[in-house]
This record gives sequence, structure tokens and C-alpha cells, in this order.
Amino acid sequence: MVLIIGGSHQGKLAFARERFGLSDADVCLCDENTDALDTSRRCVAYVDRWALNRLRAGADPLAEMEAILPQLKGAVVIAADISAGVVPIEALMRAWREACGRLTASLATEADEVWRLFCGLPQRLK
Amino acid sequence: MSTYISGGCKNGKSMWAQRIALAYAGRKPLYYVATMLPGDAEDEARIRRHRAERAGLGFVTLERGRDILSALDGADLSGAFLIDSVTALLANEMFDARGFHPQAGQKVADDLEAFVARAPNAVIVSDFIFSDAAIYDDTTDAYRAALALVDRRMAACCDNVLEIAAGIPIIHKGVLPI
Repeated sequence: MVLIIGGSHQGKLAFARERFGLSDADVCLCDENTDALDTSRRCVAYVDRWALNRLRAGADPLAEMEAILPQLKGAVVIAADISAGVVPIEALMRAWREACGRLTASLATEADEVWRLFCGLPQRLK
Repeated sequence: MSTYISGGCKNGKSMWAQRIALAYAGRKPLYYVATMLPGDAEDEARIRRHRAERAGLGFVTLERGRDILSALDGADLSGAFLIDSVTALLANEMFDARGFHPQAGQKVADDLEAFVARAPNAVIVSDFIFSDAAIYDDTTDAYRAALALVDRRMAACCDNVLEIAAGIPIIHKGVLPI
């Protein structure tokens, strides 16, 4: 697995497309309405948005991710880093922030490669 | 040799930018392009204090809240230019009395690319505001997307790109030029 992290709008998906030769059809683009990750695609992007969906549904994104980890072995996973702002006032957003931190750390442990994007520039962390 | 600097607030970005600009200038003129437009008496007092501090370092202050290229009119282009900050410049270009200008990100990126092409000894400071846990309203997100667009285009065109964390420079492209 390859994990790509970075703040919003830093060029994570553009980097993934270029480096790993992904087409639109290869990418599962998650948003807040994504109930389940499509692990048949080569790339699962914005798992942070999927995690917010799971928390809103009262589910545990960490447990759900662990259950599908074997299916993501050859995948490129993209997660936005939302860990470096003020602690949110809303309980759901606090839970989201913490879940994403744990999720990213867990994915990074599994990943063979971890990249961080900054101003469109990639840095390999692992 | 141009240098683009970003990072979190109060991490030492301006301090590094000043050091690099001083080194670029050598015996040539040293310009500080201030992009903040004062909103009240508190801002004005802060600007006066910063001006006095920079004068001691030899900076000539040029105040340009918009249309940054006009700072080059009459300036010695072989001198060093410190632009602080992209964040304020973009806010001024995007939001004014006439309303919201969605193309401001493209305009600021175009202007800054042209600036660096004409005045290559430029040090440009931005702010990293992209890693918080919030879903923003459309206007705020348009501003963040525009700032990130400027960051990515300038990171592609500048010789050096530095992230400053806890006062320590992380080199993402090029070299630490001092």
C-alpha cells in the first residue's frame, strides 16, 4: 500500500495520478456521502471524508478500515491531514479529528510507502 | 535566486525571510513589500512598530495591498525583495468594497510569477492554513483553495521552497540559501 497525506489542496491527488499512472476510473473519490470504500479501485482518495460519513452514521471508521485493510494491500490511499488546527467546538468534529489521526497512523504502519505533499511538492516519509 | 516560505503561524517564517533577503541584498537595495492594509488604529500602531524595526535592518518599505507588480516601478530590480505576506495580498485581492473576486488566486499567482521573473532576488512568505478539522463555507474554502493554488504555482516556479517548523527550515526544493 502507498499512503499519501497532506493538508487540503496541496496536490495529493495530482501527485498520485502522475506517479502511479492513475486514470479517473482508477480512483474512488470519497465525500461525506460515501458509505463504503470501493476497494476494487487502484486508488481510494479522501478517506478522511469517508470517516466523517461513518462517524455521522454512528459507526467506527477505524474498525471498518481494519476489516478491509487486506483488500487495500496494493492500493494508493489518500488522506487529508486535518490534525493541525484549533480543537473544534462541535463534538462530532472533535471525534472526526481524532479518528483521522488514528486512521492515518494505522494506514502508515501498514503502508510500504508514505508520502507527504506540501505546496504540490512530494516528500517521502517512509 | 528566489525563495518561497510557508509554515504555521509564529514559527519563524518572517525571521528566516529577513535573514535570506539580507543575504540576497549584499550591497544592493533591500525592499520590504508590505501587503497588509491597516483596518484600524491597532493595525496602524503594529505597522509603525514593524516599520521602525525593519528600518534598523536597512529595509525600504513599499506598501502594496494589491497589484504587487507596481512595487517594482522605479525600484532597482537587482536588489532584494521580501514580500510578506501572500495571505494578506490574496485577501485584499479577493475581498474588497465591491465584493468577492473568485479569480483572485489566478491573478495573484500571475502577478507573483511576473514579479519573480523581473526581480529574481525575491523572498516570498505565505501561511500554511490547510490542516485543520473543519468543513468551511464556500467563500472561506474558495479563499483556502486560491491560497493553495498560489502556493503550488510559486513552489513550482521559485528556486527554493522552505517550510519553517519551530524555527527550523525544512527544505522541500532547492537549498537553504544562507
